[in-house]
Amino acid sequence: MLTRGTLLYIGQRMLLILFTVIAVSGAVFAGMHSLPGDAFFSERIHSDEQERLLRAHYGMDKPLPVQYLNFITGALHGDFGESVINRGTKIGPLVAQEAVISAEVGFTALLFTVGLGMIFGVVAAVRQNSWVDYVLTTASVVGYSMPSFVIGSFLLLLLGKFLFEWTHGAFYYVIGWDGRYGTFGQILVPAVALGFPYASIVARLTRASMLEVIRQDYVRTARAKGLAEWVVIVRHALRNALIPVTTILGPLVIGIVTGGVVIENLFGVPGLGKEFYTSIFNRDYNIVIAVFTIYAGLIGLANLAVDLTYTVIDPRIRY
Amino acid sequence: MSVVPSLVDQEYVPETIVREQSSLWADAWRRLRRNRLALVATVYLGLLIVVAIVGFFYTPYSTSHQGVGPIEGSFSAKHWLGLDSAGRDILSRLMIGAQVSLAVGLGTQVFVVSVGVVVGLLAGYLRGAVDSVITLVINVFYGIPDLLVALILVVVVANGKPSIIFIMIAISATRWMDMARLVRGQALSIREREYVEAARASGAKPGKVIFGHILPNSLGPIIVQATFGVPQAILFEAFLSFLGLGVPPPTPSWGSMAFDGTQAIQTAPHIVLVPSIALSLTLMAFNFLGDGLRDALDPRQKR
Repeated sequence: MLTRGTLLYIGQRMLLILFTVIAVSGAVFAGMHSLPGDAFFSERIHSDEQERLLRAHYGMDKPLPVQYLNFITGALHGDFGESVINRGTKIGPLVAQEAVISAEVGFTALLFTVGLGMIFGVVAAVRQNSWVDYVLTTASVVGYSMPSFVIGSFLLLLLGKFLFEWTHGAFYYVIGWDGRYGTFGQILVPAVALGFPYASIVARLTRASMLEVIRQDYVRTARAKGLAEWVVIVRHALRNALIPVTTILGPLVIGIVTGGVVIENLFGVPGLGKEFYTSIFNRDYNIVIAVFTIYAGLIGLANLAVDLTYTVIDPRIRY
Repeated sequence: MSVVPSLVDQEYVPETIVREQSSLWADAWRRLRRNRLALVATVYLGLLIVVAIVGFFYTPYSTSHQGVGPIEGSFSAKHWLGLDSAGRDILSRLMIGAQVSLAVGLGTQVFVVSVGVVVGLLAGYLRGAVDSVITLVINVFYGIPDLLVALILVVVVANGKPSIIFIMIAISATRWMDMARLVRGQALSIREREYVEAARASGAKPGKVIFGHILPNSLGPIIVQATFGVPQAILFEAFLSFLGLGVPPPTPSWGSMAFDGTQAIQTAPHIVLVPSIALSLTLMAFNFLGDGLRDALDPRQKR
């Protein structure tokens, strides 16, 4: 598994990720700091002296490249600096707590997406041209065309209004949720909204590649040996059918990460996406850049992880 | 289940062999017409375009005029799609929102195609160092959380009030890579074909090879890719509007209308349902059309 080539490949990819993160966050950093109207333009500043002190406090009196260098070295040590709006609030711990919540929602969404998509795709392929297939195929195009916030709104409507007696508004606009132990519903409903459009794509891809694989000779051989049907489908066919499906995982991860910004705001989930959104409105540049850098790094690592799962699913692929 | 041709089918029957000649485009059009879903989608999109154009000259009520009827009023003869929380006519707002969505969706693709084709042709035709640099840039852009970049651009550069052109540019800036990669792949493969070699051998200049051979032969995939890009751009704009950072008010957009609706979801569900369904239907129509075009423009697939 972990040959020298693989390690070399991982090393190269890590370098590219590092380069990407630095380039991207550097561009955002430069962009945000070169523009007029930073957080210190607010009414709380009464004198030039006060502003000078503030700038010195945040290290903003230094030249821009030095500021960025300080930020990056700090970030690599897990120190993302201090909030511009709420002075004294360290960004690192704040963001770490929110990242856990976002990760919970994101991973649930990922599991839901891949799980449901695969099951539906396999079922549709196995019963090709039956009414089950038609219903699932049509549903997948419909699902693919529904934005996550539309599905989220529908779920809110269904669970928050029509089934209100049953749910008692348990997840509906959670106020004061500290997020550490969100209930099942609080995590699950946003995750379903987040993952549904992508589940449709996964289902479509799985169906298409299952249909190709299921006709191959080795599948017929497996059947002829008298193996149980589900063994043939799951162990022989699905394993190979999954190879094309893995290509969607990269965009899927990006979609779930960025879609989180919308969904977390809709459901009031106190995660990274919501933090990003509020900070960008408050012009809390330090938090915006910190969250953005984390996201960029996360996406890079996720893509690397996806590429490495190829080797697990398809041993013919070597790096 | 493959159909094994029987001997009878292969028997020589003079009349059936001679077929009317048809160009690729006529062929594609014939195949597209046979795809019922794509046809329905085309009709829907045609109607939507008509509605959007009519919106320039006539809407039942002013889109920003508040209190033209009962607040959060439901569907009625005077207000076909009801009223929103400020007492504005939803049908009128939906019509103008269609303009925004279509303009963003189609306009973005104009940018994306221009950038993607130029960059892709450069990388695929020149290869070598140029290709390496462009591929690296593409990979860097793929690592960017697109929505977050667009949000930052909108708030920081456009001060939270972006023009519609600005939104198109912001979306294109994060969505040009698919097209560039596609064109690059096409160029790489087509430039090695025999007919291109023949053209080159008979003295064709690079410009002739690119614009006479590579580009026309990649047109099919480009069109399909652009068609799939339209709903993505519309969706992106809806996300921005839903977060309150799309087209600034008073111009209505489907995303911002849906957001307004979520605030009144308990009392008047139709406010969120109407724009959400309009949006979903439009995205679906573009996706069906894209599917249809892909099937129709793929000459290897004979049906």
